[in-house]
Amino acid sequence: MISSYGKKEDFPIFKKKVNGKSIVYLDSTATTQKPKQVLDAIVNYYEGANANVHRSVYKLADEATEMYENSRTNVGRFIGADSNEIVFTRNTTESLNLLSFTIGESLKRGDRILITSMEHHSNILPWMRLEERGIKLDYAGLDGEGHLDIEDMKSKLKKDTKIVSVTHQSNVLGTINPIQEIGKLAKDNGSTFIIDAAQSVPHMPFRVREEYDFVAFSGHKMLGPMGIGVLYGKYHLLEEMPPFNRGGEMIKEVDFHRAVFEDPPIKFEAGTPNVEGAVGLSAAIDYLKKIGMEDVRRHEKYLTSMTLKNLDGMKNVTYYGPRDVEERGGVIAFNVRDASNLKKNLENKNVKVDRVYHSHDIATFLDDRNVYVRSGYHCAEPLMRTLNLSGTARASFYVYNGDDDVKAFISSLSEI
Amino acid sequence: MYNDEVMDRYQNPVKNGKMENFDVKTDGASTTCGDKIILYIKTDGKKIEDMKWQGEGCILSIVSTDLFCENAIGKEIKDLKEQDDLAFVESFPVKISPGRINCVMLPLRTFRRGTKEK
Ligand SMILES: Cc1ncc(COP(=O)(O)O)c(C=O)c1O
Repeated sequence: MISSYGKKEDFPIFKKKVNGKSIVYLDSTATTQKPKQVLDAIVNYYEGANANVHRSVYKLADEATEMYENSRTNVGRFIGADSNEIVFTRNTTESLNLLSFTIGESLKRGDRILITSMEHHSNILPWMRLEERGIKLDYAGLDGEGHLDIEDMKSKLKKDTKIVSVTHQSNVLGTINPIQEIGKLAKDNGSTFIIDAAQSVPHMPFRVREEYDFVAFSGHKMLGPMGIGVLYGKYHLLEEMPPFNRGGEMIKEVDFHRAVFEDPPIKFEAGTPNVEGAVGLSAAIDYLKKIGMEDVRRHEKYLTSMTLKNLDGMKNVTYYGPRDVEERGGVIAFNVRDASNLKKNLENKNVKVDRVYHSHDIATFLDDRNVYVRSGYHCAEPLMRTLNLSGTARASFYVYNGDDDVKAFISSLSEI
Repeated sequence: MYNDEVMDRYQNPVKNGKMENFDVKTDGASTTCGDKIILYIKTDGKKIEDMKWQGEGCILSIVSTDLFCENAIGKEIKDLKEQDDLAFVESFPVKISPGRINCVMLPLRTFRRGTKEK
């Protein structure tokens, strides 16, 4: 089990009672709860050091700038990168859009981009927009259990494939993709390799590697505040790229018709940045480091295998994604068949035997029991089409979940 | 899952099915959850003579649609269209959380968009 950090006591929201009972939060894939340590760090920043960064010469501004830049260094160390390779953004979505509007702009008609059928919309739409300019978007398919089909990926990796952008861990199936292997394929092909790490950096040890050109993730999915995200990029690539937004902060000098841009990463951080967010994210990283990312991963595997074992015993429940917990994260998408209807239909010899409850109905049913799961398409409609599903319910775990949450989830689910 | 009234209607809807000689056909969808319905309406342009539906969706949208079709019979198009959203949601047999209001509203919204009164 988990160390003393990661307990519910550290997370003020778990003091909240709804209808007199505690909440069972199983939607950390969407966003995570925040420990007191993160909230305190934000308050301390505002109470002790708030000023605009990189601008003024007085002491308070120095302190604010130092806190902001120390946060950057801490994020860099956490994934094994230099601090000048860490660009602060709003979230994963903005990190990927930044890439679309910089390196994406340099693509030419006939060039191709390869993604997978299990991407979140935020790793689809920034690339889809380039199709208007005659750039082709290819999707690598999945096998029956929801693994990436590597052979299909290889066959779609063409001479003209300039960008390969892949999610490290699916936010629906939980599938963990072999990004080192995919990275090698991309590099052998001369393609730029991008990782959507929104669901991996928060949940497992992650170090940048030679094959990884860019990595995107969000602070709010790893105990940090909303509104702060990260784009890691190899320094020489960041240097070659044009800026994304333009304005204050990101320039060295400005003439009436000419500007010299700052060096990366500041070149990509136009305007007043989210200093409170950076400070909060840094505190979240400190918190995760105290647990240790190996233990975070181990804990989630433990909760996931316990849950899957229980779901295996429930005849009316289907779950998706790899069966082996080594190949998946703590995200479980599932559907529930209407078993009462099944009996009734059999008696009536009705044809609609296999009616599946809509995921919103499952989520509402669980909500009445204070068990909070997500339902719908999970921002991955192409994946839902691939799986031929009109949505799923989804339970997901993080450091603060324990056996109690799994038990509450399973017992509520069995009441359907 | 919900109360018996809702579940009974979900499992045995009374106005589900295609209508052959309809006067108005209109469809609606809730893109966030994949609910899709078609309303078939028999009307003289003022009053509803009959209404049926086809489609798929969650329990709340299906039951709301089935109830809407049944309750509409004999009513004026104008009155149906002008009814208050909140009152419509509150008249549903179970209490609806804010996140599910769109499910219950689907038939009324579809009806409003698809019908013109004479
Ligand atoms: C795999 C994946 N990519 C990208 C995102 C988008 O993250 P954000 O909304 O923080 O930009 C998410 C969030 O759900 C995700 O799960």
